Amino acid sequence: MAPKAASGKEKLIDEREEDEVLQAVILADSFDKRFRPLTTRKPRCLLPVCNAPLLDWTFESLALAGVQEIFVICRSHAEQVKTAIRESKWSRPGSGIKIVPVMTAKETFSAGDAMRDVYTRGLVTSDFVLVMGDLVSNIRIDEVVRVHKERRRTNKDAIMTMVVKESGAMHRTRAQGDSSVFVLDAETSECLHYEPVSACPPTTMTRIPREVLEAHPEIDIRNDLIDCSIDVCSVEVPSLFQDNFDYEDIRRDFLHGVLTSDLLMKNIYCYVAQDGYAARVKDTKSYDSVSKDILSRWTFPLVPDDNHPGGHVYKHARGNKYIAADNSVALARTCKIGNNTLIGASTRIHENAQISGSVIGQNCVIGAGSVVDGSYIFDGTVIGAQCVVTRSIIGAGVTIKEKTRVEKGCLVGDGVVVGPLAVLDRFERLSRRRVDGDGDGDEDEDDDSDLEEIEANQGGATSMLGKDSNAIVWPRGASEDDEDGITSYKNQRARQIGDDGSELETSDAGSSSSDEESDEDESSGYASGSEFRLATEVGGTLERGPMGEDEFRVEVAQSLERAFAEGHSVENAAVELKTLRMASNVPLSRVREAVVGAIVEHMEVVEGAAGQRREIQRVVGRWGRLIDLIGGVDAVETVSALQMHCASSVRLPLFGQILAELYQADIVDEDDIRGWHGLAESRGGAGAAGENVRRCWSVGARMIEQFDEQESESEDEDEDADESEDGDGDESEDESE
Amino acid sequence: MASETPNTPTLRAVETLAWKLRRRQIVGSRATALETLLVLRQVISKSRFSNMEQLVSIIRSVGRRLVEAQPKEHSVGNTVRKVLHHIREEYHTATRGSAAASYSAFSISKFVLLGQPRKQTALPKTESKGSLKENDPDDPDSFARSLKPVLMEAIQDVLDELETVYDNVSKNAQNHIHSDEIILTLGMSKTVEAFLISAAHNRNYTVMVLETAPSYGGRDMAKALSGAGISTFLVPDSSLYGLMSRVNKVILGAHAILANGGMFAITGSLLAATAAHAHSTPVVVCAGQFKLTPLWNLYHEYGALDFGDPSQVLGFEEDSLVDKVDVVNPFYDYLQPNLIDAFITNDGDHPPSSIYRLIKETYDDEDNEL
Repeated sequence: MAPKAASGKEKLIDEREEDEVLQAVILADSFDKRFRPLTTRKPRCLLPVCNAPLLDWTFESLALAGVQEIFVICRSHAEQVKTAIRESKWSRPGSGIKIVPVMTAKETFSAGDAMRDVYTRGLVTSDFVLVMGDLVSNIRIDEVVRVHKERRRTNKDAIMTMVVKESGAMHRTRAQGDSSVFVLDAETSECLHYEPVSACPPTTMTRIPREVLEAHPEIDIRNDLIDCSIDVCSVEVPSLFQDNFDYEDIRRDFLHGVLTSDLLMKNIYCYVAQDGYAARVKDTKSYDSVSKDILSRWTFPLVPDDNHPGGHVYKHARGNKYIAADNSVALARTCKIGNNTLIGASTRIHENAQISGSVIGQNCVIGAGSVVDGSYIFDGTVIGAQCVVTRSIIGAGVTIKEKTRVEKGCLVGDGVVVGPLAVLDRFERLSRRRVDGDGDGDEDEDDDSDLEEIEANQGGATSMLGKDSNAIVWPRGASEDDEDGITSYKNQRARQIGDDGSELETSDAGSSSSDEESDEDESSGYASGSEFRLATEVGGTLERGPMGEDEFRVEVAQSLERAFAEGHSVENAAVELKTLRMASNVPLSRVREAVVGAIVEHMEVVEGAAGQRREIQRVVGRWGRLIDLIGGVDAVETVSALQMHCASSVRLPLFGQILAELYQADIVDEDDIRGWHGLAESRGGAGAAGENVRRCWSVGARMIEQFDEQESESEDEDEDADESEDGDGDESEDESE
Repeated sequence: MASETPNTPTLRAVETLAWKLRRRQIVGSRATALETLLVLRQVISKSRFSNMEQLVSIIRSVGRRLVEAQPKEHSVGNTVRKVLHHIREEYHTATRGSAAASYSAFSISKFVLLGQPRKQTALPKTESKGSLKENDPDDPDSFARSLKPVLMEAIQDVLDELETVYDNVSKNAQNHIHSDEIILTLGMSKTVEAFLISAAHNRNYTVMVLETAPSYGGRDMAKALSGAGISTFLVPDSSLYGLMSRVNKVILGAHAILANGGMFAITGSLLAATAAHAHSTPVVVCAGQFKLTPLWNLYHEYGALDFGDPSQVLGFEEDSLVDKVDVVNPFYDYLQPNLIDAFITNDGDHPPSSIYRLIKETYDDEDNEL
């Protein structure tokens, strides 16, 4: 068999030899509820997009890229996902792909939890592709993987490559409320900074850390990228999630965490895809735009008439109309089928019905004279005569009785009966009223409790749904548990199908355009002349400087307190401090002051010189190293910080002893003390504070004298230390009197 | 019919190819023909059959699977048909040994072939295998055992034909292109490239290559031709009509040649052929015989033109336009037979009107529907 392999096959074999198997991990759970009520009985990844389950589109996208093994991490409705995979064409021999559904615990609430699960199960063995279970793409991911591996060969710290797709700022496929600003190195396309952009409240500015500008001569600041959530990850990525138990979102937490941490020293790169298409079905709005993109063939060869993931065969007719090819579709002579429409098998369209820009599932009936525009109708739905359905998603098995109007943006759950003569308002969400014993076990526990709540609050709302209706209306406004308030509602609305920006008071169009402006402002500011940049920088620090530092000091004190109390290792405490510093963007000297201060405060004041000395020794021995671990060694500054702190603290008398102990612990050495001693500000000034400062300075002066003596007499170190400490002891006694 | 389901590794090979075809991981008529042939060889060598009908039904089922996977790559079906034809021929020779004589008798293609004898009629293997026995109850494999070597040979013949197709097409290139002529071509076709380069050995002529938007295959073509030392101009598509009056001959490649003498070729071919028609400039098509397709009403089907993605025409980043513009980006044009003057194949030159005859000779009628 082997010698017969032609070029294509040889390549496949070569690949295999080279890098074993290309693995992919699909996070099939979305960890949000944007598709409700469509997703109450069914996971989002099994919702049909152009009549094929979303998950199949994702599989097909990965198959195009030559992925051979896929792990599907499923949480909600995991059994359904499992069954769907088992019954799909993928489990047949010859599909060339091994798909393993992985059930994760009910407690998995975020992508981060899922990644930790991936780690603990040890699923991945080499570099892998991480995608969400709602991806539709024809990007050659294998090319990205190749680039990633090449980079890994030279730079072991390049742990991840994100695939982003260029698009315009107002592109339909680019979610208005869910875009992000990427700061990339213009040459290597290393991702330097990431900031999510929200629609409401509109993000009007982005802050780019100064370090980024220092280290990279040329950067791109881009707000026109669709984040496809295709990440080529190395094996370290799940373990990083394991180490950082608080990472939840892959972008907001993980990416941000890795980029801002200067301890990890890992790099993340972007791959800006020039050709190909990739988008996620994140919300009903992107559901709409992705479906449109599929129908207008952006996803070629993943198009209905060519490689339809559901295995259906469609005939492509002029104007991107796709009609099931098995002659089972009954189109009335007078019906009008507009452009960009897909009609599934065994569907009947009656006289004078008009359909445009829509996807009709299998076994549907569209009644005479009905108008369906820009809508998505799932399998087995019956729409009566003279109905109007505009830009909505209608679930499977729905019955819409005659003369019903469904205005734009509605979501109608599976099995709902509406009408006759009902009018659904804009953005209405309907689901079926529960029949007793309907819930399938404890799986839907939280869903059911939600439903109950909604049912309880129905009131008179159902009266407009028609006399035969079994539907309940979902409340508008904030209904999600985790995010609440009007802003999240508005954000959510911005992502709903049918929204074109003009609906909300904070118009989306306005907010996003101001987004761009501000981005442009900032980028041009940074790019053009240093003067302007300086001006903005200074303005920025003035504006938010004191606030940040106050917060920071409190934070440091708290975090060190915690470290002292819980006995963290010095390294962990240092990491925490670094994170804090990055988060509040304060100079290193502030951190040093805060750390020195905290350590000094941690020492207890003990009666008696020997006891006091032991206490100081203990604290410095345990925590002294922290001073040098916060990101840069500057012993002179340390001594200054110690002096300044002691001068304003009740532990002033301890200054000499602490300094000596620091000297003993090699945190400061003789030259540093001399250097500090030489500084003008160490001598102190007028007033009470200045007095204390001067006192410290004189202690230092005495120490230096001892150093000098030591040098001339070349005494033993121990004795010298004793002596100096004795001296300090005297001093402290003096002070306490 | 139990033997119709091939064993797992062969099934896997078929499925793998089917997937690749579906996903367009293999494109181009020659590449797909080659892959199909390799899979067929594997299937035949691995499968068990005890009579001719079983063998044919195995191959047909594989063929059906592959054609369904990608109905737009016609050469897949063509290859399957051709293999079936060869197998039947070998079988007839093996059982009767005298099939050849009657075969050449009814060929009228001699009229159009300028007296060239056809290769297939040049006596298939005459050694008669008297021992060939179908449906032997004692030894059901005996039929397969004795026939398989011949079948492998038959497939090897088809393979050889595919591999030498460029050479054979360009064999007579110098008789078609004369010195100081101006030739117009478009798109990137390996066959046309080989043809023109071969002609350049004896003739000194000029080629104009259209850029052929949106695939811009013409650019590669121009590079390849000028690399071979031919004086080449790359011209924009829009200047096609203006240039046509100076062009002596239009040479095109083909994707599939249909039974009525029409063909599918890369987008832009129709424009070029129509312009040539207006100027009465001859249009010549270079193609291997594996592109002969026993279908003729495909041009009624809109989808047969194989519409690609709009990104070649309209960038995805053109945000406001994407919503408002429907982009139609067909990959192929259908050329009616009256626009074409001659087909130059690896087996002689033919006018469009005799293509049906060629097809009848190359394939068996019962295979037209796999």
